[in-house]
Parts: sequence; structure tokens; C-alpha cells
Amino acid sequence: MHSRRALVAASFVAVAACALGVLAGSTGLASLSSDIFWQIRVPRVLAGFGSGAALAVSGALMQLLSRNALADPYVLGVAGGASVGALGTMLLFGAGSAMLAEWGVAIGAAIGAMLAATLLFALMGRRLAGPVSAAQGDASTSLLLVGIMIGSGCSAVVSLILTLASEGQLRGMVFWLLGDLNGATHWEIVWLALAAALALVLPTARQLDWLARGDAWAATLGVPVARRRIVVIGAASIATGAAVATAGAIGFVGLVVPHALRLVGVRSAAALLPTSALGGGAFVVLVDAVARTIVAPMQLPVGVLAAAVGVPTFIVMLLRRPRGSRS
Amino acid sequence: MSAQIGAGPSGVELQVIDLRLTAGGAPSSRPLFTALRCRVAAGERWVVIGPNGSGKSSLLAAIAGVFPIAAGEVRIDGTPIADWKAAALADRRAWSPQFWSDPFPATVAETATLARERGSPWRVGLDDGADPAVAAMLDRLDLRRFASLDVRSLSGGERQRVAIATALLQGAPLLLLDEPASHLDPAHQRLLLEVLLEQAQGGGAVVASLHDLNLAWDLASHAILLDGRGGAVAGSREAVLTVDRLTAVFGVAIEAVELRGTRRFVVGLAAASVHG
Repeated sequence: MHSRRALVAASFVAVAACALGVLAGSTGLASLSSDIFWQIRVPRVLAGFGSGAALAVSGALMQLLSRNALADPYVLGVAGGASVGALGTMLLFGAGSAMLAEWGVAIGAAIGAMLAATLLFALMGRRLAGPVSAAQGDASTSLLLVGIMIGSGCSAVVSLILTLASEGQLRGMVFWLLGDLNGATHWEIVWLALAAALALVLPTARQLDWLARGDAWAATLGVPVARRRIVVIGAASIATGAAVATAGAIGFVGLVVPHALRLVGVRSAAALLPTSALGGGAFVVLVDAVARTIVAPMQLPVGVLAAAVGVPTFIVMLLRRPRGSRS
Repeated sequence: MSAQIGAGPSGVELQVIDLRLTAGGAPSSRPLFTALRCRVAAGERWVVIGPNGSGKSSLLAAIAGVFPIAAGEVRIDGTPIADWKAAALADRRAWSPQFWSDPFPATVAETATLARERGSPWRVGLDDGADPAVAAMLDRLDLRRFASLDVRSLSGGERQRVAIATALLQGAPLLLLDEPASHLDPAHQRLLLEVLLEQAQGGGAVVASLHDLNLAWDLASHAILLDGRGGAVAGSREAVLTVDRLTAVFGVAIEAVELRGTRRFVVGLAAASVHG
């Protein structure tokens, strides 16, 4: 597909999804007060869109960097760190005040994400920053493995926190882990993080296409490989950390959205990254609109529905014959 | 022959001065070769010949600037490669590695144009307008009918031609090709030969590692022979690709015959041991 057309189409889908998101709900449009609209619906849609966009961009970046279509924002272990931070805050400070519920968990998640990213850099820094040589295997595989190990360690701590938590805390924690836009009123942070991540990677997006073909080859085209890798990991960490802090660990957006866009012909990183942002945001806003209305007045965690959509979609895409294959 | 396509600014000079490389690039490991000297000028075609593991790929990567140099120097247009700005060097030389990674779906046309436009890094991906030079190159390398196929669905020889197209479309006058003839059938080997000869005639220079001695002979104006035991010879093809040298380096009987005015190498006829 023509990249420009894909961008326009994705923008259109994103606007439509947001319109649907602010209109859908258990309260009909006619009786909808402007308070509910401006103080609940709009911030929630913005938070959902920002989180989905940040996760999809982060997923696209990790896939490009690791040359692996199965990579997602969570392979770096940054989200695991955010989970430990968020749940640790809930455990330590309990259900506490409304003030804490609003900010404490997000701050805890952000600190956890930063610690995990710092650990990743400390462990991989030398390998990532070393000179490029055609003789060496690239650092991508060990980066993935180290990230997955950090994530596994974090999962163990999350399990520990869940066993230590009281009955009352447990429900909130589980909802948070599933990805939850309930009470996600602070959309500003994730939008800032998304903007920062895109600003870091978009001006050199073409270099990511080259890096995906091999570190040494990219180096011969003038890519400062070590610097680019570190910037990409930094941008992905910022985006993932902010998304998870805002809306919990929503799964599958980061994996499925870039993948689906590639399948419809969006290939170059310069087109894939912005379309991923638009598509990921639209996906979460739509899924959240369904999650809020399908069993209204009850609300499902958005992560549950995202997975319910994401799992079958991904399986179908994996089993499908590659596009353009012969015979 | 068709007109020159995809060539960059003509005139380029490569100097390899007392080059020493080690296996894997680590300073302490076994030397691949020492004191290799050569000077490659525009219009010349240099083939790199040697047994498996003798350092052909390492030599090409070192000239490209992506393999550690243990001693000596590589200069392009008189300037040591370490002193070049990486982006400017990409305008002067294109390196095609032996192995490619195709992790994501991409069409043949997209893959062939990867290295073409390097100026405004992120606008490029947004303009997929048809480029006549790309169409001409795909035509030249017999890839036109694959243009919109996924590169991952190609056979080895077809993928190899895409790699050659990518390198040529980079537009650099010096081509460093690591086994460009691998997986190619005889017809496409001849096609590769024609395309590379055109490239050199247009003011470019080619350094390519090859295993087919006859193809090497037809392409080469000069040759580098690596013996895999630390020795390296460089010079005109007549001086380097001699029966005695080749037989000694490969440890298998190699003879040459004159057929219709050109030299053909015949491998493995004599039973006599030639080790030494």
C-alpha cells in the first residue's frame, strides 16, 4: 500500500475511533452531561489512545531493533518493572486515599519502569555500544534474552506481591495487571512520552530499515549503530513505561498492530511508526468502548478484551501464507 | 550492451596498504593474511580468490570499514576510511554482504531501493513513487517479474540478484561484493558478469570474492589470492591466477586450457598429490 495513503487511512480510523469512544457509554448521548463528557469520557479516550499508541510504537521499535516480528514492548522487561512498581505501591500504601489512587500507582509504575530500563542498560551497555564488526553476531538476541530475563524476574516479584496482598488489594492489583483504563484520567504523561519517543526516532526512521537488514550493512550506509540502538531502546522504554503507568499492562497492542500494518503493506519504518501510533491508539479506544458498554453498567478491563481480539488475530496472521508468496 | 545504469560519480581509487587481518578481528587470534598491498583504480575488476576461511569476506568487510584492521591501512580516494564521514563514504563504496537478513515482509522493489536514497532519511519511506532507475535495474537483473513479490519468497539465486540490485542502486562507484555469484545459475552468472563489466566501464571499480575460477577469469582485470595460511598475493589476473599458484593454494590439481582464445580452468583431473 502507498505509505501516504496508509497514513491518511490510519488518521481517519483514529479520528473515527475517538469519536466513537467519547460517544459510547452506558449513559446515552441525550442525557449525557457535559461534566461526564469532559471530565470522564474525553480524558479516558485520550488516555486510552495515548497508551495504545505508545505501546504500538514501542512494539514496532522493538521488532525493528531485534529483527523479530514476535518482539513486543514487554520483551525489554520495562513493563515488568512498571508492574512491580505499581503493585508495590498498592501493597505498601494500601487502598489509601483517592489522591494516592490517582497518582501513587502511576508514579510507582514510572519508577519501576525506569529502574528496569536502567538495569537493562547497565547489563547490555557495553555490548550495545561496542564497535560494529561483520565478524560478530549482533547484540539483538542477547538484548532480547536479557530483557526477557528481567521481565521474568519482575513476574516473580509480581507473584510474590500478589501472595502478600490482602483480599481487598488483590482485586485492584489484578485489574491493573490486566490493563485497566478505569480511573486513567491522566493522559498528559503518556502523550508527552509518545511525543518524546516519536521525536527521538522519526527523524532517523530510515536507518531503522537498514538496521533491520544487519548491523554491519547499516554501518556502511552511515548509521551510527550503537547510538541508534541506544536511542531506540530509550524511546521504547519511555513509551512503554508511560503507557503501563497510565493504563496498566495492556497486552497484544504492541505485538499485533505493527504486524497487521505490515501485512497491509506498510513496511518502511518512517511510515510504520506513525501508522502504528494511530492504529494502536484507535485499537485501544475501540476495545475500551466495547469493554465499557458490552456488559454495562459493569466495565471489563480493556486488557482482557484486547487479548480476546489479539489472540485469534495473531494466530490467523501467523498461519496465513506470506503475502506475495508463489504457488 | 545496454547503457550504464545505476553508476555513481565516475573515478574512484582504493588503496590497501600492508593490510593485516586476524580471524574474527580479535588482535590475538590467528592472522588471516599479512602485508596485503594493492591499488584499485576506476575501470578495474578485482577478484578475491581463496579457500574457505582464508579471509575473503573479512577482507571485503575491512575495506568496507566494518571489520577490525590489525595492521595497515585502507584508503578510498586517498583518505583513510577511518577519516571519512560514514555518510559520505556510502556515496563512494557499496558493500554487499554474503548473508542477508529479511526479518519482515518487503517486496523485491522495496528491498532493491533500500540503499538508494540516503539524503533525507525519513522522508524517503513516505515516497514510494516509481523510480525509473529502479525499474531499469530490476529489468537488467531479470527481476522485473518479481518486483512486487515478497523478497522472502524468492529462491537463493533470485535473492542474490536482489542483493546485487541493492548494491548497484546505492550508486557508489566502488562495489565490494561478497560472493555475488553464489546460487546463480550459469545464465545469471553471465548476466552478473556483463553488469559488473558495464559498471567498471562506466568509471566504477569492482572487488568481488568468487569461487568459480572461470567466472573469476572472465570478470577480472586483477586478482587477490589468499592462501589461508597467512599469505596473500595481489596483481594482474595473469600474474596471480596461475595454475601453479592455484594448485598450491587449493591443494587440488588445477589445469588451464586455451579454448577459443580464452583460458579455462579444469579442476581435479590429475590424481597426483599436489600437497606441499
